[in-house]
Amino acid sequence: MSERRVESPSDDVDRQLYAKRQKIYPREVHGIFALLRTSAVLLLLGLYYFSPWLYWDGRQAILFDLPERKFYLFDLIIWPQDFIYLSALLIIAAMSLFFFTALAGRLWCGYACPQTVWTEAFLWIERKIEGSRQKQIKRDKAPLTLNKFVVKASKHAVWILFSLWTGFTFVGYFTPILELANKIVHFNTGPWETFWVLFYGLATYGNAGWLREQVCIYMCPYARFQSAMVDANTLIISYDSVRGEPRGPRKKGIDPADVELGSCIDCTICVQVCPTGIDIRDGLQYQCIGCAACIDACDDVMEKMNYPKGLIRYTTQKALAGEDTHVLRPRMFVYAGLMIVVVTAVLFGLLTRDVIGLDVIRDRNALYRETGDGLIENVYTLKIVNMDGEAHVFDVDIDGLDGAQLVEDGDSVEVESGRVVSYVVRVQVDPNRMTQQSSDFMFRIHSPTAPGLDAEENARFVGPRWLGTGS
Amino acid sequence: MAIPVIQKAVAIFWSSFIMAGVATLVFFAVFDPFELIAPTWFPNLSRLGAYSIGFFLFWMLTLSTSLLTSFFQRPVEQFNKS
Ligand code: SF4
Ligand code: SF4
Repeated sequence: MSERRVESPSDDVDRQLYAKRQKIYPREVHGIFALLRTSAVLLLLGLYYFSPWLYWDGRQAILFDLPERKFYLFDLIIWPQDFIYLSALLIIAAMSLFFFTALAGRLWCGYACPQTVWTEAFLWIERKIEGSRQKQIKRDKAPLTLNKFVVKASKHAVWILFSLWTGFTFVGYFTPILELANKIVHFNTGPWETFWVLFYGLATYGNAGWLREQVCIYMCPYARFQSAMVDANTLIISYDSVRGEPRGPRKKGIDPADVELGSCIDCTICVQVCPTGIDIRDGLQYQCIGCAACIDACDDVMEKMNYPKGLIRYTTQKALAGEDTHVLRPRMFVYAGLMIVVVTAVLFGLLTRDVIGLDVIRDRNALYRETGDGLIENVYTLKIVNMDGEAHVFDVDIDGLDGAQLVEDGDSVEVESGRVVSYVVRVQVDPNRMTQQSSDFMFRIHSPTAPGLDAEENARFVGPRWLGTGS
Repeated sequence: MAIPVIQKAVAIFWSSFIMAGVATLVFFAVFDPFELIAPTWFPNLSRLGAYSIGFFLFWMLTLSTSLLTSFFQRPVEQFNKS
């Protein structure tokens, strides 16, 4: 039986803990999952680089305008007061992560995580410039020549340019990107903008160019607790050891049974394609990011050998053990249900959200006051919030208080976009027309120029005690 | 089992970085730097500048906490040996 030792870089990392990490050269793969992953990468990168350039109603469609403290999402404007939506968003994100992890392990890591997405992009650039895995390994072992230097330098140059563009796009989500581009062209970006473009660019270059799988292994919190969400019914990428073992090389087209071997020909291609450098045949490991590269690679080998595909495949632990498996199990419905509830609540909240808010605060100093004309007067502070995109003027009215009149300092009140204005008004009532000590009424505000922008709020008018006795 | 140097570094720098980010987010969602000290102390500071400085102050805080935690976590026995 073959005792050939498979070289798995992570073995080394584990054994010699203080030794320098061994560089991993993932081999290029083709296949259905590679296609899926590439499509996901293209879609996500496309969205990332394109979105800030989208215009809507004369302004950037998606802009988290930090200097102005407003978040624009197409027609929506989110203010710091709407912080609750951010928490809801985090809950939705967590629930979907639970859902997808319980369904099929680290789908997020393999297809959608920015670390994966940018690493794939960097690997692609690397392959275009440096050539295949073999060529890269050979070049790295060879002494430094002019050619090697030029190849390496151009790779880093392209990486750095790409990273800078990434950093620029990132800052473009937070300050208007057209202005930013304009400033960059004229070399007069502000110090903080420059700093964050460089900072984010550097982070991209470092994470996707140098750190790569170490980010997943050492920096990612999700990787540490994913096992809590995975159970025996979760689809995970596994090597079918019952079918594969004993492994061993053989000539093409030989039936495994004839040579007393399993289906694995021990070609180690699955190890060579692995971006985290592990051997999936050792079982499910913490380092596996679920990229499915090994599935594609092994399927290719099986096809060449004329063996059935799927020696490495998405399957559940139960299925591997020959038991019944149910992917649709209660926890899936719980996660999905919770997700639907929160999504509905957010949508409902956003759709019915008032852009104009009114709060009424009674004067704290005195219950009431008698004016020189013998009227009873109450003082109120109206807090008017304008969460619309532009300034508005509001008229104030009262309703539901017999014979009352409203005394204001002006005709109306202007509230700038995103501001809260305190507006003090007085309400006067002839005591002879009051039948009880306190009565409820209503303040209404509306904008004469923008129909539909209005708000109302209950208030209480209080008079002298004798009014309550009915005398 | 010994822990790789990179993992130690990550445990201190990266975890404090994340928490500083979260703290900055929550803090500046509640407080507008223009309504805090900024106008009196640093009249020329933009909001972006205030956020950035706030972030680094938070990071210094969380970083020193992480450092102290890992410092105090070392086994005490080693101090008797030398
Ligand atoms: S690619 Fe398939 S056949 Fe080749 S070593 Fe891996 S599991 Fe075995
Ligand atoms: S073991 Fe397979 S699925 Fe896991 S990271 Fe490696 S190549 Fe990707």
